[in-house]
Amino acid sequence: MNQTKLHKYSRSVSIIGVGCTPFMYTVDKDETNGLTEGEMYGYAALKAMEDAGVNPQDVDYYFHGQANPLAGSNFLTPNIQIGNWFGMKGKGSIHHSEACCTGYLAIEQAVNAVASGKYNCVLTGCVEFGDSSPAPYDGIAPEDDGVDVPKHPYKRNKIPMEQFLKTTSWLYDRTYTRALMAGQELIYDDAAEWYVRTRGITPEQMNDTLNWMCINNMRNAEVNPLSLINFLKGTKDPNQFTYDERAKAAGMTLDEYMNSAYNPRMGDFLRAGGIELKCDGAAACIVCATEMIPQIAKNLKHKPIEVVGIGSAACEASTPHFEVAATQEAVRQVYELTGMSGDDLDLFYANDFIVTSHLVSAEIAGYLPEGEGWKYICDGRTAWNGDKPINSNGGRTAFGHAHAASGMADMYEACKQIWNEAGDHQVPNLKDHKVPQTAMLRGYGGAQNVAAIIIKRIDD
Amino acid sequence: MAIKLEKVVQTYYEALEEGKILGRKCPKCGNVEFPPVYACNACGSLETEWYEISGKAKLHSIVLPAALSSKPEYKALGKYAYGEIELEEGSRFNGVVLGINKKKRKELEGKLPVSCHAKIFQRVGGYKTVVFELDEE
Repeated sequence: MNQTKLHKYSRSVSIIGVGCTPFMYTVDKDETNGLTEGEMYGYAALKAMEDAGVNPQDVDYYFHGQANPLAGSNFLTPNIQIGNWFGMKGKGSIHHSEACCTGYLAIEQAVNAVASGKYNCVLTGCVEFGDSSPAPYDGIAPEDDGVDVPKHPYKRNKIPMEQFLKTTSWLYDRTYTRALMAGQELIYDDAAEWYVRTRGITPEQMNDTLNWMCINNMRNAEVNPLSLINFLKGTKDPNQFTYDERAKAAGMTLDEYMNSAYNPRMGDFLRAGGIELKCDGAAACIVCATEMIPQIAKNLKHKPIEVVGIGSAACEASTPHFEVAATQEAVRQVYELTGMSGDDLDLFYANDFIVTSHLVSAEIAGYLPEGEGWKYICDGRTAWNGDKPINSNGGRTAFGHAHAASGMADMYEACKQIWNEAGDHQVPNLKDHKVPQTAMLRGYGGAQNVAAIIIKRIDD
Repeated sequence: MAIKLEKVVQTYYEALEEGKILGRKCPKCGNVEFPPVYACNACGSLETEWYEISGKAKLHSIVLPAALSSKPEYKALGKYAYGEIELEEGSRFNGVVLGINKKKRKELEGKLPVSCHAKIFQRVGGYKTVVFELDEE
């Protein structure tokens, strides 16, 4: 496969502030039903500015990520439509979408813009309504002509699963991949098959590992106040209950429950619990030239977190083992650039809308030892309170998946952990009980873009 | 040769109607691109030329369809699996292989890669595509 050699940024670039909404089913609660794109993105943007100690006049430009603005918002130019909400009217901006990888490549684009010297300080944010669409539902309903416009300024309806799945087919190459029938279907189980075959474990061991990734994600989300499962407390939604609680209610052991009809097998390996909880959310970061921080963020309350490198690779879905191949290349690039390895990482985040991602990418990155990662997961060592935390926020299966915003929410979580500001879910059990300094975020999505981002706190 | 604005996709599908499976061969390094595209992804040559593939291939991996990973239309395939296909000419891509169910997968475990061959298959929508069948043992 083609390879790329990365070069050092022209100047150091750091993240100095972050903001994130709770991940939600907005239409399910009176207090959130009716929230709009401007309100969601605007909240995350202003919280990030407040966190950085800057105001909108200090920010030169903004990036806007949304995976599916047409179906989710009835927008063609989403960066413009929300442009008056956070004090930056008239400043330049761009919208981008790389589907589920958007939030990670939003960091890449912002860092490139600042490293080039064009801008000193930029906002990069993402918003998604993954659980609802403008009312009345428009655009892709079979009875529509595809060009309907919602009649109301803020009301939204839940997106039925069958409508959502129609839009996911848009991710795949129409000329060849959809016709060949395989690439779009392999997203669910290809990585699990690859792991079983190349690591020599049994399908039963893979089944246990998939279940434990779901359990660990849920345990992480349970202690994270921004998680979807906490948003759902007090509603009728069963996803508010942890697997331990659900097993107890069903009169089963946890192992019995995870292998029961309550957690049915939906793929060749994948069970229902290993699939994303699509939802609504927004998150943002302030990205600044490190050398300019004393002038721009005079009251910065925490140490800058430098983006030391970002590897990127894209394997279209007809490529065999697309997730594995693209992750290997992105990770190779960023390690070659930085001279770092998996041993240097304190935290790891993986976009795990198919939960298998979290095992496969952590091993490829060397955060977990090759062929042994599944044992770490099954032993609970990758939960937030283990010694090798993965997705300390709860990941896509429990924190939730607001598609474009998920990567940015991972960056929010990583920065909060690195600043020792994660509160009740601050990771406690790293080697020597230290506060984490370094993290990798492995972005993935859009059939399939991959990013491998390494961030590191700058200590004096 | 010269770089041409060319209807590669339409030519490929029209050839399938005639029973031919076309790829594009790099005149510089010999790499065959399947499905056909303009440039060579192996050496970076800006040009490729039409090449009829033999249809001989190897299957390197097997994933069985399930509730999430199948569609009603796929019932017409009978028993099938998804997997990594390697053409005799070297191209590797994700494809469908007919004749595989749980029992057959069990038989094939430890024997991968196994030989298979291309077959032209009629899709709903009025066009043909390429799937694969296991070779007779």
